[in-house]
Amino acid sequence: MAVEAIGHAPRRPGVLERLGASLLDGLQILGEATRLFFAAARATVFLPADRQRVVVQMVRVGTDTLLIGALLSLFVGMVMVVQAADQLRDVSQDILGPIVGLAMTKELGPVLMAFLLAGRAGSAMAAELGSMTVYDEINALRTMDIDPVRFLVMPRFVAATVALPVLVLYSDFIGVWGGAAVVAADPAIGIPVSAYFARMLEWVHFTDCVVGLVKGLVFGMVASILPCTFGLRTRGGTEGIAASTTAAVVWSFILILVFDFLIVRVTFALD
Amino acid sequence: MATPANERARGVPVELAGIRKAYAGHVVLAGVDLRVAAGELLAIVGQSGTGKSVLLRQIVGLERPDAGRITVGGIALDEYLPLPPDEKPFRIAMVFQSSALLASLTVAENVGLRLRERGGRAPAEVDAIVRRVLEQVELAGTERQFPAELSGGMRKRVAIARALAIDPELILYDEPTADLDPILTEQMGLLIARIRAARGSTQIIVTHNLPLARAIADRIAVLAEGRIAECVTPAELAATRHPLTREFLRASALAG
Repeated sequence: MAVEAIGHAPRRPGVLERLGASLLDGLQILGEATRLFFAAARATVFLPADRQRVVVQMVRVGTDTLLIGALLSLFVGMVMVVQAADQLRDVSQDILGPIVGLAMTKELGPVLMAFLLAGRAGSAMAAELGSMTVYDEINALRTMDIDPVRFLVMPRFVAATVALPVLVLYSDFIGVWGGAAVVAADPAIGIPVSAYFARMLEWVHFTDCVVGLVKGLVFGMVASILPCTFGLRTRGGTEGIAASTTAAVVWSFILILVFDFLIVRVTFALD
Repeated sequence: MATPANERARGVPVELAGIRKAYAGHVVLAGVDLRVAAGELLAIVGQSGTGKSVLLRQIVGLERPDAGRITVGGIALDEYLPLPPDEKPFRIAMVFQSSALLASLTVAENVGLRLRERGGRAPAEVDAIVRRVLEQVELAGTERQFPAELSGGMRKRVAIARALAIDPELILYDEPTADLDPILTEQMGLLIARIRAARGSTQIIVTHNLPLARAIADRIAVLAEGRIAECVTPAELAATRHPLTREFLRASALAG
């Protein structure tokens, strides 16, 4: 055995081998996330009994996201008006309201808030569950006949899924008013705020808001289940926790955009 | 250490037959056979990496062996584990090496966690049990503190209190004295001996602290090369002729 170890240096896996291993690992993560999603969904039958834990998680999500969410939405709304006003200078700035309204309700509000939730609350979920996994706290729960999915994952899943649509509305509202502030204050914009809102109300329909809320619902599930999945599969101490947290955020961002695309395709097909 | 027979009867026997476990082709347990009598205090010793903790995880059901059979209280572990908590004929508790206390919960919440979540008991009753077990581990008054506010030794005792709160028939300890100084190690040993005297639960302690094992255990099992090299009383261990045990004793004496 020793002779063999000295005689042959460990073979470095080739590119294809590494690619294949990464692909298999990715499929395994998706499989685990899907299984955890169904387990968390099943555990919602205990929601009435576990409502206190859900409320605690909702407060955490709120404190993690409300202030930064407001700043993000405000400046995105403002920047959008500045950019669009410049592009429309020689055409008509009448459609500034619809541009901001539709962009915020259908796309930017849901995606911005989902990224924020994944980056702030999601990373905290991955780190917390990762630490609990590494230091045997999850195993301790199992030995006490306490289901970690019901005790830890379900409250986070429900909190994020309920909170994100609310955050989307919050973001839409602030983004639209950020745009209105620029319309009112920027002398280069030649329409009154009343016209900005009037045209917006003509173009933005209730169904647009519903699409945004549906996105918020789905993104909330993604931005909680993936961090919980990565947290529960953490191995290898402090470095493992850091790696899980980073991977959870990156995967959440990617899957949020994948689901965004799918929802857009479905809504366009239904139109 | 003598214990009244009626109290000893509260423990459950444990039997392991041909337990094998490998990780990615690396064999850790190569056929472990072990019998622990009801109410017995057994110490499992061995060098680091010989699979002592892995063995405990098989007994508590956190991992399944690749082969072999585990019987606790006359019931196969595979039949015991799926039972609903209130239909289990006995309870198994484990004290983890890292204490594994939930950082976001207070001492009282940690200790009473299983009772609140699965016990179906009134809050006042849970509080009374928590107070009682915290007194047993000499931590009365720490109910409102968080684990981060406690020393390592105190956290271990809270973990033991959490185990005692469910009134278990079998308690498993994974390196209960790891990272403790000699005085705290002695206190921990006395605490474990006291628990056995008071409750008669079967206790299995994984440790590489041979003096502790000799002081409190009825028998000491030496785990080497994936098997139980021998399982003898502390007195018999001192006079052993088994080469693997002698090697471990020699190394322990050097380290100690």
